[in-house]
Amino acid sequence: MQGLNRLTLKRRTTVLLLCIFGFFGVLIGRLFFIQVVKAGFYQELAEEQRLREVPIDSKRGIILDRKLRPLAISFGADCVYAIPSQVKKAEETAKIVAEILGLPMEKVYRTLTKNSSFEWIKRKATPSEARAILDARLPGIEVAPKAQRYYPQGSLAGSIIGIAGIDNQGLEGIEKFYDVTLRGVPGSELAEFDSKGQHIPLGARRYIPPKDGLSVVLTIDDHIQHIAEREIEKAVLEQGAQRGTIVIMDPMTGELLALANYPGFDPNHYNDYPVANRRNWPLTDQYEPGSTFKIITAAAALEEGVVHRDSVFFDPGFIVVEDRRLRCWRAGGHGSQTFVEATENSCNPVFATIALRLGKEKFYQYLDKFGFGKQTNIDFPGEALGIVPPPARVKNVELATIGFGQGISVTPIQLVRALCAIANGGYLLEPRLVREIRTPEGELIKKFEKKVITQAVSERTSVELKAILESVVVNGAGNRAQILGYSVAGKTGTAQKPVGGIYGQGRIASFLGFTPVDDPKLAMLVILDEPQAQVKYGGVIAAPVFAAVARDILHYLGVPPKVNEAGKLYNAETAYKVVPNILRLTREEAKNILKPLGFSWREIGQGEYIMEQNPKAGAFVPPNTRILLYLDAEAKYNGNESTVLVPDLTGLSTQKAAEVLKGLGLKMMGNGEGLAVEQIPPPGARLAPGMTVSVYFTPTLEE
Amino acid sequence: MERRLVKNLDFLLLGVVLVLVVIGLLTIFSATRANTAINNGNPYLFVEKQFISVLIGLVGMALLIGVDYRLSDLAYRLIYGVNILLLVAVIFFGTEVNGAKSWLNLGFYSLQPSEFAKLAVILTLAKHLSEKEKLSSLWDLWSPFLHIFPPLILILLQPDFGTALVFVFIFFVMLYMAGTNGRLLFSIILTGILLITLIFVSHHFFDTPLPLKDYQIKRLTSFINPDADPRGAGWNVNQAKIAVGSGRFFGKGLFQNTQGRLGFLPENHTDFIFAVFCEEWGFIGGFILLSLFLILIWRSLRIAVQAKERCGSLIAIGIMAMFTFHVLENVGMNMSIMPITGIPLPFISSGGSSMMANLFAVGYLENIWARRQKILF
Repeated sequence: MQGLNRLTLKRRTTVLLLCIFGFFGVLIGRLFFIQVVKAGFYQELAEEQRLREVPIDSKRGIILDRKLRPLAISFGADCVYAIPSQVKKAEETAKIVAEILGLPMEKVYRTLTKNSSFEWIKRKATPSEARAILDARLPGIEVAPKAQRYYPQGSLAGSIIGIAGIDNQGLEGIEKFYDVTLRGVPGSELAEFDSKGQHIPLGARRYIPPKDGLSVVLTIDDHIQHIAEREIEKAVLEQGAQRGTIVIMDPMTGELLALANYPGFDPNHYNDYPVANRRNWPLTDQYEPGSTFKIITAAAALEEGVVHRDSVFFDPGFIVVEDRRLRCWRAGGHGSQTFVEATENSCNPVFATIALRLGKEKFYQYLDKFGFGKQTNIDFPGEALGIVPPPARVKNVELATIGFGQGISVTPIQLVRALCAIANGGYLLEPRLVREIRTPEGELIKKFEKKVITQAVSERTSVELKAILESVVVNGAGNRAQILGYSVAGKTGTAQKPVGGIYGQGRIASFLGFTPVDDPKLAMLVILDEPQAQVKYGGVIAAPVFAAVARDILHYLGVPPKVNEAGKLYNAETAYKVVPNILRLTREEAKNILKPLGFSWREIGQGEYIMEQNPKAGAFVPPNTRILLYLDAEAKYNGNESTVLVPDLTGLSTQKAAEVLKGLGLKMMGNGEGLAVEQIPPPGARLAPGMTVSVYFTPTLEE
Repeated sequence: MERRLVKNLDFLLLGVVLVLVVIGLLTIFSATRANTAINNGNPYLFVEKQFISVLIGLVGMALLIGVDYRLSDLAYRLIYGVNILLLVAVIFFGTEVNGAKSWLNLGFYSLQPSEFAKLAVILTLAKHLSEKEKLSSLWDLWSPFLHIFPPLILILLQPDFGTALVFVFIFFVMLYMAGTNGRLLFSIILTGILLITLIFVSHHFFDTPLPLKDYQIKRLTSFINPDADPRGAGWNVNQAKIAVGSGRFFGKGLFQNTQGRLGFLPENHTDFIFAVFCEEWGFIGGFILLSLFLILIWRSLRIAVQAKERCGSLIAIGIMAMFTFHVLENVGMNMSIMPITGIPLPFISSGGSSMMANLFAVGYLENIWARRQKILF
């Protein structure tokens, strides 16, 4: 080159080359720093801005009946949501979205302009709506699948199942109580978003699958529930009641087989029903049970030995406790009666008497043993405790009224459970609504075993009380609960409904019973709240509901009906024998009469003649009942074989009364319908065979 | 003669350029295929356009090798004149993109005269400097400065600050290698830097006017502290760094870039294509790419040193300086060690004028190299 010597040129070239190498060294060093040293930092930044976690709901577990028939299931539904920060042209977007989804535009606009990172616009969008939204490609508007709850049986068992909210959260009922089990664990999806906030559908995704909720298997039997709901609806409508319920429990396990409330609701559209319809009030409400509670008083009294089945009482129609006169429901009283008869008659003064005999301390022990005044711990939210008045406030008057079921509040579930303890040999069980937890695939994970809390009464008391309660159905006010082919035990109740502390006109008619007596398959409480019908007695309107429901259930369960020697279906009335009149007879003569009838006997006292017999002539008793024979040497043989002692027919049905009289060779002239309340001549009078007794019947009365 | 000419070509240089072109086409495809907003639904649109430019560029290159680079004075004047004409035309008829009137819309083709202006200035300046006897005093330098000022001013008027900087860099490197007195050159550069500093300081304290617009200053200085305005001026700087960094050592793989594809990194097929490449190929890829550029620059310098005569040598020096500055500036701004000026990465960035001008420049280099031995011709 000219103007530059070779040495300078070489030097300058070298300088230039060094500079270039230096520059490139810096570039490569910088590249190394960013891509190797700080690589993790930048990768995190990159992912932070393009990846976002979109939650994926877990599929809510299903609810099944005990035969694994589905009652609540979940399926996917498309939900539209917004990421407000990424919405461009909020007004325009709101207009389009509102039009597609049929929502008010102002509402959508407000949602889109909220200062939040996530807002739902519409859950449960239809597939075509979801597609339209996706096609509109609006920045910041997204569609995600979300599980939706569906109750395939509609309103069936609605108040048990309860409801689940849109966010897969249990709000009421089993859905709430077992929410953690049903809910599952939500998963997430790592979705890619571009700088405009648009979801990139084909972008790389990391997917954490949701863990679906577990299945809950109820103790409820779909069919039994259906029978119960059918009958309670019918009964409530027929009787014009405010509401009604049927609680059916397996007395051996404490499992609820059905819990039917009317009016109910359809959880699929729960907003269309009054909130009150959603209450599962047999568990969450308490009421004064009335006469059905006498079962508890009887159990305690029998267990404590303050009374036995043949104890004799006299009811003048009232009882004076302290300064209060507590009246019997029947004007004039029931007169002289055994404890069995008093139970059949549902005689208030007798139960007041035995409550007083028990004493506050003993009685309260049994209230506690039978689980009153505390939760049964059933697996259901919001259970009520019932109200057992504090002992300090209970004087004899209160004690006496509690004896016949007034001044104490119980929940229907407490009452049914207590009855189950009578039915199953004395064991108080924990009631259950759920029997199993299963995986979504149906694999059994957990089984809830029967849980005995305590033995409330002895087996002996249980057997004794069962016979008495059977007699209530056979002879007493509960006769409409009879079922052809099956033995039934139970107790009616017609409680006055207190309004603001004063008993008003409202009644709660109920029947509490179980069947079959020897091997109980179900215990049931039927309640009709404030029936408007003319006759409001539990024995008249609740007992038939019991019979209708129990009969269908026994058939459904395949419980074989009892058949007697003649091959006829067991009928409670015919299975019972009428006690013959053996007064004034000799021991030998009496035994000759009793033996062929299948009675056993026991002699009390010394002598050849029978002075007194218990039960009295004409009483209906189970075939092998032991007749007590009171002997007296002085008693004269009456010799008058042509007259018979007129029996007490009170409480007997027309048919039964006629049979009794026929057995004694007397004729009956019946007046009215229902149960016998009056007779002419009165019990104890003597009539020659062939003479007529006038009997007056009225629809079942009590209290 | 043709055969001899072909035999004397620098095949390493040619090979490196072709590899760079292929890398460029692949990366352009990767950066634009998913961006429906600019490719009108045709993922190959940008690659097709670029490929046509490559073909034209290669034909031009071949023609330039065939014709002796030593042109007549008239030809040089013509080149200088047409260049000025085009730069003037772009001021009046240019289309404005990103705030600069740099494109001449010819209907079928959008021409960017400033890309060709660089080569034109290198050729004419080399010719001018090669004819200068002395470059030792300030007086000797008035004519080179006069030579460079008209195109430089016109480019600043667009305004295209990046290309203007390329001019300045090329100018000083050529002056240096043309043998300008070292001290003199150093004082001029120092004075220039002091002057610019003074302008900025005066602007800062006394609010004197600047020849630049506000956004340009912001863009130029954002690389120093991008977090001062991360959503505005600092956005590109940060996004480029994130793209490069998230590529890590081995890269995400071909077509696996996410930052550009998802729209976080703007201009990812032009100014920030290096970031896309580094995201996909990692440090390994970046290192190889820079090495290829280093080979390109080394071969250019080698041609300059071995050129038969002064003018060819200075042309090669100018071209080398052009490549060097483009690579330094573009790669540097992708890694935020250089201010953001929108100048492309040679042979890689999408852009027809740049591709053609660069391939023509390579044609010149080969031309000079093939004619280095006097005996041949």
